[in-house]
This record gives sequence, structure tokens and C-alpha cells, in this order.
Amino acid sequence: MLSNIFTLGFLVSLLASTIRLATPILVPALGQIFTQKAGILNLGVEGTMTIGAVSGFSVAYLTGNLWIGILGGIIFGMLWSLLMACLSITMKANQVIAGIGLNILGAGVAVYAYRVIFGIQKLPPQVETFSIINIPLLSDIPIIGPIFFQHNILVYLGFLLVPITWFVLEKTTFGLKIKAVGEHPRAADSKGISVAKIRYSAVLIGGAYAGAAGAFMTIAYLNQFTEAIIGGRGYIAISVVIFSRFIPKRSMLGALLFGFASALQMRLQALGINIANQLLLMLPYIMTVLALILASKKSEIPSAYTIPYSRLER
Amino acid sequence: METIAVKMEKITKSFNDVKVLDSIEFKLKRGSIHGLLGENGAGKTTLMNILYGLYNQEDGEIFINGKKENISSPVKAISLGIGMVHQHFMLARPFSVVENVMLGRKSRRGILLDTKQTAEELKTLAEKYKMEIDPYSKIWQLSVGEQQRVEILTAMYQGAEILILDEPTAVLTPQEVDAFFETLKEMRDDGKSIILITHKLEEITSIADEVTVLRDGKMIGRRAVDSTVTKDDLTRMMVGRDVLFDFPKNTIEPGEVKYSIKNVCAKNDKGLPALKEFSLDIRENEVIGVDGNGQKELCEVLTGLRKSDSGEIILNDKKMVNKEPVYYIEQGVSHIPEDRHTTGLALNWSLKRNLILKELNKAPFVKNGLLQPKVIDKYWNETKSEYQIKSINGEEKARALSGGNQQKIILAREINLNPQVLIANQPTRGLDVSAAEYVRKKVLDARNAGTSVLLISADLEEILQLSDRIAVIFDGKLMGILPRGASTHEIGALMMGKKQEVASCEN
Amino acid sequence: MKTKLLNSGKKAAGAVAMIALALIIGAVLVLISGNKPMEAYATIISGAFGSKLRLSELFIKMIPLTIMALGISIAYKAQLWNIGADGQFTMGAIASAAIGIYVELPPFLIVPLSILSAILAGGLWAGLAGWLKTKFNANEVITTLMLNYIATYFLAFLVYGPMMDPQGELAQSEVLKESLRIPLLFSNYRIHAGIVIMILIILLMFFFWKTPLGYKTDLIGQGEKVSTYAGINVKRTIIITMMISGAFAGLAGWNETYGVQYRLLEGISSGYGDIAVVIALLGELNPLGIVISSFFFSILMVGGSCMQRMTNVPYSIVDVIKGLIIIFVIARTAFRNTAIKYTMKEWIGRRKNYAK
Repeated sequence: MLSNIFTLGFLVSLLASTIRLATPILVPALGQIFTQKAGILNLGVEGTMTIGAVSGFSVAYLTGNLWIGILGGIIFGMLWSLLMACLSITMKANQVIAGIGLNILGAGVAVYAYRVIFGIQKLPPQVETFSIINIPLLSDIPIIGPIFFQHNILVYLGFLLVPITWFVLEKTTFGLKIKAVGEHPRAADSKGISVAKIRYSAVLIGGAYAGAAGAFMTIAYLNQFTEAIIGGRGYIAISVVIFSRFIPKRSMLGALLFGFASALQMRLQALGINIANQLLLMLPYIMTVLALILASKKSEIPSAYTIPYSRLER
Repeated sequence: METIAVKMEKITKSFNDVKVLDSIEFKLKRGSIHGLLGENGAGKTTLMNILYGLYNQEDGEIFINGKKENISSPVKAISLGIGMVHQHFMLARPFSVVENVMLGRKSRRGILLDTKQTAEELKTLAEKYKMEIDPYSKIWQLSVGEQQRVEILTAMYQGAEILILDEPTAVLTPQEVDAFFETLKEMRDDGKSIILITHKLEEITSIADEVTVLRDGKMIGRRAVDSTVTKDDLTRMMVGRDVLFDFPKNTIEPGEVKYSIKNVCAKNDKGLPALKEFSLDIRENEVIGVDGNGQKELCEVLTGLRKSDSGEIILNDKKMVNKEPVYYIEQGVSHIPEDRHTTGLALNWSLKRNLILKELNKAPFVKNGLLQPKVIDKYWNETKSEYQIKSINGEEKARALSGGNQQKIILAREINLNPQVLIANQPTRGLDVSAAEYVRKKVLDARNAGTSVLLISADLEEILQLSDRIAVIFDGKLMGILPRGASTHEIGALMMGKKQEVASCEN
Repeated sequence: MKTKLLNSGKKAAGAVAMIALALIIGAVLVLISGNKPMEAYATIISGAFGSKLRLSELFIKMIPLTIMALGISIAYKAQLWNIGADGQFTMGAIASAAIGIYVELPPFLIVPLSILSAILAGGLWAGLAGWLKTKFNANEVITTLMLNYIATYFLAFLVYGPMMDPQGELAQSEVLKESLRIPLLFSNYRIHAGIVIMILIILLMFFFWKTPLGYKTDLIGQGEKVSTYAGINVKRTIIITMMISGAFAGLAGWNETYGVQYRLLEGISSGYGDIAVVIALLGELNPLGIVISSFFFSILMVGGSCMQRMTNVPYSIVDVIKGLIIIFVIARTAFRNTAIKYTMKEWIGRRKNYAK
């Protein structure tokens, strides 16, 4: 039985699917790095992703164009996160509750919209997914090729967002402003930066990333929409942000870790092996708690985390 | 060329209907250091916040370099060449120095940060004023003094010609102060105009060219600082009267020493020493007034809210050092805290509940594990009439009351505990005259009932009026103890750091 | 007393208005989906009250929801945002099931022991988050969320592994002995004596807020400074509050295991935790308010699934209504908390500045 595991083929397909499974975790996590760095904890990522999944699928189905589908996912993801922004920034509502509420509402709205658009059908409507792009030359390298260079375009783009996110946060004035409103909003305000405006944009970016990741699930991973399609990936993305202590590079590691755990679990189950793979799935969460403890100690968490800003309150 | 950099005319400002600035006149000469002197709460910071665009004045006009300006925001102030260094630094701790400087500035590289260029210019600027700083070090790695340098540099980098410094030396060690003053002189000689907010006379005489004194929101006077100005003059302007007469004689004389603070050392929030080998004895039936820096930390150490590094506190022969706050409450140490909004009261709780805030566990308010509304009601009604608290039925939130009524709730709660020791920190701050008078009377009543009272107040007049003896702290050390009826001259001398020459009159 | 009545009247009116608004929007959505709103809502009502069987199902749902929401309300009063009730519920279920299955003692000992273990397990699970908060300043929102997942996978590990029913193929433990189960109230229906426990807990909660501990919990929600000043050990109270909050959820886990499922199985908490958060908030953290909103949500859930089966209206409408209610609750609180006034003030202030 164990000999099945230690074959090269198994290992290669395991690692390749680790990368594929990591993508829809990595992308929303990168988005949430923006949002959380600006001081907003958006627990509603799960709902945003579900909205992105249904809108991405519907748009792709109706237009017959997958790229427009992704765009649809992004736009609706942003619109949905606008609700969160409005509640948490303008109304200064409790972010935890707002996030939970938007998750419940998002799940309901997504499923409802799907029903209204597609009605009840015997066979679920499907789309042709993004095809696999073999990177010339690289994909021919044995072992390395199949693991890293035989994925659909969105997987590549998703990982490309890692340096892009890092660049925006570390090298641009906008990134500096985002970090400033999460760290010391009063100082930012006194320097003429509109705290609300920056926080809104940070939440919207998070929404765009999450919406894209939701659409990824329906038109690049599966080829249809189901109620439980996001399956907790939104919450995992939040864990990854904490796990990575808000650093894009590390969030890639976090997403790969979660991706690996679920890939391994799926493969083992397919082989009918029931060793303690649930404990394996548990591991990333335990590591997230440990990371949180470390992050608190090193004061890496934005000082204004989850705290609304008001100029008049001290 | 206009020689007056800033002119403020008839500036008036109120908070919650209390006038905190009343028709203030202020003039700053270009290329000078101007001291803005006054006690805590005199309105110095408020006036400067108006100049910096953080508050808007209700009335009055501001002229910068002779031109009338409407300074609606700090951004506007910065564009007019005004920079301000607040007491609480506006620095993001995980950021590097240069990142803090770049924040909110237009980058020369469009959307990209111009980190390198800024860092180099910053270095040049720092060297010019002999302020050593590494542009790439993170703020949290810097000492408080260094952080202050970053704030000043930021202002200079933004092109500040007029620099406002709010109590800048409060966070510095004596050695740092010397270097800091050198920098200020350097800047002045460079043509910058500097406003130095302070309540320390010494700083005025040692560095300022001119001084404006505020007291209680009013402008008292403006003087050139030359050989004719004495510290006594300034003390008189700051405090009001020279000697205070006319307070009621206490009929009960103080008794034996009941409460001793022995060689207590403690640090402030920034980790700097706030109390240095501080000692004080308080007798039965005695009020000791305390003036000077380090009051806040003293209060907190005495009530268990702050840990001391060494020393002892003894009440009735019982040592109480670094215990939980509840221990002090149980031993009979009552505390009227400085900030009634965040500490003294639970603002969203009813008045009744606030009244028994420290007795939520105790009989008769709790019986068989349940609170007794009837007992509480009865107690409330008695207290309400005794302390003349204005309230409908005690169910309204503490938030809804005026400052005076809020303070009465605290006073009633603390005094009704029949304390051995009462620590009253700024008990009348922000109260109107009659409420303040009432609070003072109650404090004296407690004294006469045998309580040892430690009165901390920025209001020197209040201290002189109530205290049997006056302890002056300077720089965390006890400078001396003065008897009742001491003149402000004597107090001023001690406050300036001149140690009492004659042995104090401790009994 | 009068003002109190008036206040609670106002609060109730507000809650009713929010529910009504959510129901109206729900009705519009039903209409858009090509169904009749009145029919849909009528089915929900009849699905919840239509027969004794339905009624019994209604209360079966209501018991854990109420108990969990009451526990959550304690933590929220102290401004501790425990969103891990599901995990605490799961740990309670695991601990009590383990006692019931593995400990060989007479039932009159096992039953109290199992209750105790559930309370303890739920309490410790939440207390862990409280401890991490006081010790490491770890945000309790994240830790309770993570502990949810850890508990879920732990449960899955047990029912797929060591605790799996040796006789069966399914991911569940063996069944509890009949003598250990919570007795049924009527022989033909599933409703069980757990409802008595719910009522006891509700009564307990009315008293809880009048005990010193209740006051302390409330006080730490008012601010750390004032609590410390009043002589309260804030850190200890945070941990205790979290533990009590978790103990309630653990008890609900016991109730589900011993009263409904009679065994441990995957997904036993069925996402009650999130709903309980909504219930606690809609009920304004007040025991009576919680009971009423828990009743209302049970109607929605039991009636909603009936509606799904009997009409063409999708169950997602129920989710939409639930979601809308919580959004309205938040918006209303925000308006009340003057936060919105601040925003207005800032906005007006800014305009004034520019106008000058």
C-alpha cells in the first residue's frame, strides 16, 4: 500500500495538484494582505468568493468568453466587498460581525442568483475551462515540467500576483499609504491622506482578488457552479494572511502548505488509505495560531487592526 | 521683509461650551525662539493646534508672514511652512525613518517611492543640524529622543520655517536636552522661527528670546526674555497671585504618620525613569499637595496600576508593594483618577452602577450571590441627596451627566468607602467654579475625618488652598516639602529644580 | 421601570422592523424567481407549526441555538468576539460521547459525568483562545476561528479513525446506550428533555447578569482601564468569560449528542455557531431577546427546508433573509452608536473648511 505513495508518478501529480489547489487560496490571501494591512479584517472573503464564483461562471456561460467571466468575477467581487467597506469604514460597524453577515448573505445571494439565471436543470450547466498551457521547453523537463509548467494560464497569473503585490506594497506611494492607514491612521490623516479613501480601495482590491479566485473555482478548476464550491477557502485565505504575517512571499508558502495538505488528503483518500490525514489537514491551522502568537510578539500586526478611524475620537 | 512670522489675533475657542481660549493674541518674530508658557490646561496646546490647522478657531484671525490665512488643515499649515511636533509622535512604528518622511509627500517618481533620493537628502539635512539619524532604521528601534529628532527632521524636510514644539523636553534625558537646545539654536540662527510650548521656567530663561504666558485660556502677557526678566516674574504670571491668603484655617491638626512612601522608583510608559527614590510621609488628618512632573506615575504606583522598580509603600505598618489594584482598594486606598472618562467611570453604565463600581462583590449590595437592587436604590438615594447629584432616577448613563456631576459620583464612591488614604488626581479639572468648590470641600471633609489625602493638581492655587504641606517633585525626585502658606516663589524655586537649601519643615 | 419597559419596547420594535424589511426583500426575490411570496411564507409557517412533528423539529433546532447564543452573548458583552462556538460545541460533543461510549459506569453517574466533560471541553477550548489573548495578545477572532477548524478535523479524525463504529462503514461512532440518552418527551416525536435544560439555562441567564460575575463581565466590556481601576483582574476575567461562553456551546454539543444524534458523527455542529452569533446580536445580547430571535430563526430554518421540499422556492431565500437581518442589525447599531454621527460631523466639518 505504501509503495503506491512512494512512486514518482504519485509524487509528481501530488505536487502539481498542490500548486493548482494553492492558487484559489493564494489569490484571495494576497488581496487580503492589502485589506488587512489597511486595518480591516474582512471575514467576508468566503462570501465574496462565492459571489465571484457564481458571477464568473454566469458571465462566462452567457458570453461564451472565459476572460470576460473572470472580469465578471472581479467586478462582482468588488461590488460585494463594497458592502463590507461601507459597513466597516463609513458606518464603523464591528468588522467581525459584518464579515459573518456578508458570508451568510453572500452564500444565499449566490445560490439564489444561480437558480434565477439557470433555473432547475437535469444536468448542471457547464463551461469549457481554461486549457492547460505547456510552457515551451520548461514543461518538457522531466519531473519539474509536469509539476510547475503544465497549468492553466490563471495559475501562472495567480503566482505572478505575488511579486506584483509585494511591489505595490513596498515600492509605491499607494502601498505606503495603505500600510500607514492600518498602522497610524491619525498620522496619515495629519499628512493629508484620506484614511477612508485608502481603506475603501484596500477593501475593494481584496474584493477583486477574492472575486477572481471565486471565478477561478468555477471556470478554471471545476467547470460548473455548486453551492459549496468555495468550501472554506475564504477562511483559509484569512489564515494564510495571518500565517504569512502579512508578507506576500510567505503567503505563497502558506497557500502551498494548505494546498499540499488538501492535495495529499484527496490523493490518499482516492487510494483508499485512511491514515490520519485529518490530522494533516489540521496542521496548517495549528501553525496559523502559532504564527499569530509570533506576529503579536513582534508587533507585525497593524496597530489599527479592526479599529475604525474617527478624527474626532481619541 | 516682514519680521513677524506669525500673528494670531483675538483667537477664541470653546469645547463643550467651556471657553478654553479667550481672545488670545500671539506674535512670533522671524528667526527667534518664542516660549509659550503656562500650567497644564492653560490652553497652550489648543492655541498651537489651531495654528497647525487641527482645530478651527471660533473667532479671530491668523496672519502668516503678514498675509491673512485660513488654516483649515495640517496639510494647509505644512504648505504655509508650519511644522509641529506633537507630544504624541505621529510616527508609524514599523516604518523606517525615510518611509515616515515620505508619507503623504508627492513622490518625484510618480507612483513609485523615491526612497533613495529622500534618504540622502534627509541625511544631508540631519548633518546640517547635527542630528545623527539613519534614514533606514525602523522607528521602533529608536529611542524616544531619536524619534523626536525624526519628527523635527520631517517638519524641516517638509520645508517648515515655523516650527511648533509641544513640551519637547518631557521625553528627553537631561543630556539629550542640552544637545536638543543646541539644535534649536542652530535652527534659529538659520532663520527658522520656533515656538516652544512648555511649563518649565528654566527652559524659557535658558533658550527663549521671547515669552508669551497663558493662564486659564487667557493671555497674561508677552515679554522679551532678557536680564530684566526673573523667574519670579514668570511664576507670578503663570500662577496668578504671589502669595495666597484667605483660606480657612483647619481646626483639626494632623496626627501621626500613617502612610509612607519610601524610596520608590518607577518608569513611565516610555521606559524612562519617572520616579527616582521618591519618599513622602503623610499623616492622619493631613492633605499633602504634590506638584511637578511624575505625578501620574506616582498615582499609579500607589494604586497598583503601575509596577514600581523598587521602594516600599507602607500603610498602618503594612507593606503594600506591587500588588493587584484590588488589594489597595481593600486596604482603604481610594483614588480619584485623573481621567474620569476612561478610568473613573464606565460611561455606558448607569449612575447607580457606577456608584458601586468598587463594591460589586460586597455586602450589603450583594447577598446570596445576587445584587440587591433595593439596597442599591436606597444607597443611591442617600448619596444623591448628600452629594447633590443632578439626576432623574440614577438609571441614566454616566455619559449623560455634566463633568461636575460625574465627578460627584466618583467622589461619593471613593469617600464613602471611608478610606485610610485618598489619592485625588486633578479632582477639579474641567469643573466650573461651584462644582470645584464643592469637590474641594468634600476633600477637606475627608481629611478632617482622619483620611490621609494626597492631592495632585496642576492648579497651584488649589494646592495652596487645601494642603497642610506641599511636596514638590522635579524630574522624578522630591525637591522639598513646604509648609502651609508657602509663597509661590518658594514653590517656583523648587519646581525649577533648585533643591531646598534649608532643611524642610517636616515635623 | 417605566423607562425600562419603554426602552425594551423600542428595541423590540426595531428588531421587528428589521425582520419585516428582510422579509419584504425576501418576498421580492421570491417573486423574481417566479414564485408566490405568500405561498412561500405560508409554507415556512406551516413547515414550522403545521403538525406536532414539525413543532417537535422546531424545538430540537431551537435548543442548541438558544444555548449557544446565550453563551455567545456573555462573551460579546465583554467585547470578546468569540466566533468559535462551533468548535466549542464539537469539543463538547466529542468529550461527552467519549465518556458515554468508553466509560463503564452506571448511567446515573455517566450522565452527569458526560455533561461535566462537555462543559469542561467547550470551556477549555474557548478558554484557550482567552488565554492566548491575555498572554500573547492574539486576536480572539482569529484564534477561535482556527480552533473551529482544528476541532472539526479532530472530530473527523476520530470518527474516521479511533472512534469509528467497528460495526459500520460510515464515519460515525458507535451508538450510545439507550439508558444514557436524554429521554424523549413524547414517544412518537424526537423532542427530548433537553428542552428543560434550555429553560433552566435561560432562567440562569436572567440571574447571571445580576450576579457580581455578570457585572464584572459587563464591566470589562466597558474598557480595560476602568475595570482595572475598579479592582478587577481583567486578564483572569477575560479567560473566565471565554470559558463560560465556551461551556454553553459545549453543553449544546452534549445535548445534540445525547438528545438527537445518539452518536458522534462528522459535521455534528451543522454550522449552528454562525447562526447563534446572528441570534445573539438580533436579541441585543439580552436573554429574552435571544430566546425570541432563536425561536424566529428556528422557524426560518425548519420551515425553510420544508419550503424547499414542497415548493419551487430555493432554500437560499432563507439564507438571504438571515444575512439581511444581520446586516440591518449592524447598520442600526452603527447609527445608534453615534459613529455615523461622527462621520456626518467630520463630513460637514470638512465642507465648512473648504467653503471658507
